[in-house]
Amino acid sequence: MYGSASTHDIPTKATTGLENEDPILLAEFEARIARGEKIEPTDWMPQLYRKQLTRMIEQHAHSEIIGSLPEGTWITRAPGFRRKMAQMAKVQDEVGHAQLLYSAAETLGKTREQMLSDLVNGKSKYSNVFNYPTPTWADSNVISWLIDAGAIVNQMANAKGSYGPYCRALDRICAEEAFHLKYGHDAVVHMATGTPIQRKMMQEALNRWWPAIMTFFGPSDKMSTHTEILMRWKVKMATNDACRQQFLDMYVPKIWEIGLTLPDANLRKNEDGVWEFSEPDWEDFKRVINGDGPCNAERIAVRRAAEENGAWVRRAMQQPQAKYVRPLA
Amino acid sequence: MNPKLDLLYRLADDQLILGHRNSEWNGLGPILEEDIAFSSMAQDKLGHSLQLYMLLHELGEAEPDTVAFTRNTPQFHCCQLTELPIGEYDFSLIRHFLFDHAELLRFEALADSSYEPLALVARKVKGELKYHVLHANTWVKRLGTATEEAIERMQAALEFTLPYALGIFETTEAEPEIISSGLFIGEAELQRRWEASISKVLAQTALTLPDLRLLTPVTGGRHGQHTEHLQPLLDEMAEVFRLDPTADW
Amino acid sequence: MLSSFDPRISRLELPESAPPPSDKAALDQFPTYEVFHQRKENAAYVYVGPVHAPEADVAFLFGKEQFSRRFPCTGMWVVLTSAIQVTEYGDDQQSVYDRLPLPLLPADQLAAADAAGMESYDIFHLKKRGKAHAHVGQVSATSPEAALQAAKAAFGDQRPVVNVWVIRSADLLRSDEADRDMWTTTPDKKYREAISYKVQDRIDRFKQEG
Repeated sequence: MYGSASTHDIPTKATTGLENEDPILLAEFEARIARGEKIEPTDWMPQLYRKQLTRMIEQHAHSEIIGSLPEGTWITRAPGFRRKMAQMAKVQDEVGHAQLLYSAAETLGKTREQMLSDLVNGKSKYSNVFNYPTPTWADSNVISWLIDAGAIVNQMANAKGSYGPYCRALDRICAEEAFHLKYGHDAVVHMATGTPIQRKMMQEALNRWWPAIMTFFGPSDKMSTHTEILMRWKVKMATNDACRQQFLDMYVPKIWEIGLTLPDANLRKNEDGVWEFSEPDWEDFKRVINGDGPCNAERIAVRRAAEENGAWVRRAMQQPQAKYVRPLA
Repeated sequence: MNPKLDLLYRLADDQLILGHRNSEWNGLGPILEEDIAFSSMAQDKLGHSLQLYMLLHELGEAEPDTVAFTRNTPQFHCCQLTELPIGEYDFSLIRHFLFDHAELLRFEALADSSYEPLALVARKVKGELKYHVLHANTWVKRLGTATEEAIERMQAALEFTLPYALGIFETTEAEPEIISSGLFIGEAELQRRWEASISKVLAQTALTLPDLRLLTPVTGGRHGQHTEHLQPLLDEMAEVFRLDPTADW
Repeated sequence: MLSSFDPRISRLELPESAPPPSDKAALDQFPTYEVFHQRKENAAYVYVGPVHAPEADVAFLFGKEQFSRRFPCTGMWVVLTSAIQVTEYGDDQQSVYDRLPLPLLPADQLAAADAAGMESYDIFHLKKRGKAHAHVGQVSATSPEAALQAAKAAFGDQRPVVNVWVIRSADLLRSDEADRDMWTTTPDKKYREAISYKVQDRIDRFKQEG
């Protein structure tokens, strides 16, 4: 599950470093992407491509592993066998997606342990929505449905990107997330069309989550030289606004049809087919992404505790003669 | 109690409660890949318990969700081993090792049960349990021959857990009939096979299996007597359900 | 102590405030293994991805659940990443075999050379960039380089071949025929499949009543 938080990290400084790249190799690289061919790990690639992809895939991976926590909150309390087993399978998938994505990022040269280290030390970012809590079962359902729906919009776009290992990981992830989306929708529909207590729970959870959902894809892109290059290189596949519009178009009607309301009086589709809405509070978004959200500290503390409690296991399993090499593909 | 119900409740409750416990590791495991593997096995346990509750339902008991999520401590027949908190990974692994060896042998025997619906379930889940045991053995062999720290931890976990594990084989009043009707080989025979099976693996490690005859088994679970840990777990499992008992979640 | 909405987290008894950051120890890095799956009987083994593991038997445990829990699978191979010999990557539509230098010996003489030192190698082809390597067969050779030449002779007419992996057959840990039943219930786990969640009737009923 992932939003476009990484797009904030598109550098805004004027230099792209491209002037230092070999023009012939750069031309071949760009021609390959223009032909629709994927880049594989041992191919020559510009520094900017390697750096930006590493950061993006790493943040995506972090978002999966941290994203397993808000739904994990309800894993011991999911009501009944059906929900319980699906909730477990879904949370498990998020961990599995993290594994796939860390592997894809590793092919670019950064080790998984370095990435995990940067995560627990607060050096790397992850999708900001996971800094919000899930105080009720209904909150968990909102994530299962709508955050995953947003993530799928993003991931389907990114799966058409240019980097082979990331595409392979995303193909698998998208296939697995089809279940998440249906499961989440099923759970929300049961609540929204259920008893008065359930409906109230679900409406309140949706009200709590809607502002965060509206920030999921990040603010409007600033069109910089970097953005243009990253789009040409098929690193960034769609603008944040385009993803948000696609999400609203697909899911707002599905939310409304089950009698739920959304806490934005300005939300509507205009005659041009474009969704209008109140501008999200980007100052608050920045504040939370920089560490001052309701759950930032807990998310990192939990991840760190998992690392520390597992350290003896990893120490014991370590083979002195074994040597790490990055995965091939 | 009717011997079929007696047997099924014990089997189903064990798997339900241990499955719930093991699910607590989801997202908190020591290695990403291990986190995934451990979750799969917890899901399998819940799946097995569901299949067994369905057999109970066919025999006239309430719906699986009702049976699993609305009873209280005295009505549960799991052994106390399954209800203990997850603790550290050494304990969770040793519990998994001791329990799943018994479970695989149990279901291998149940594949020949005179109660055909149960034999069918047993034949189906045997393959999954085979993986559970392969997983447990691999970890016990690795950690049980690794660093001094790991061996000490695993040995301590083994010694703490064994008396509870012996409680797996606590019998009930229905035992003679369970055996005579060909439902199951019985707990004593299962325990004999289990001892041979775990000894074989432990012999390949630096771990020492204490003399089991000198240990006092922790029993009571099969008769509804449980540790203080079970009721809070049951309350947690039922928390959402209880918000609105009339609801379809 | 940190109190969470998640009872599991509350039970971890974490301190309220985080300890100062410290880097993870470098020794935490396991080697990587590459995993191949067979999706159905008689199908070619296909690359599914890597796992981190201290040894092949652990990689096997991990590879099974990471890559086959959601999709049917009938068998699995794992191999240490560093045991794989990789050619360079060619363009889509081409064959990297075309770029191989001519063999020192013709293929028939190559095959006859030093039968005592012969070993079996498994050969995998990547047909298109961004897709996955698939097993094409085995060759016998005295070295990975010779195996690649032998693979060219045996499979070189297949096109396109963007990349080739050569793995000494003895380096692959393969699932046991006797353990096939470990995989048979994957398709039964319907709760993991999108198709099990059908909610349209409930929505229609809600709309009619509304």
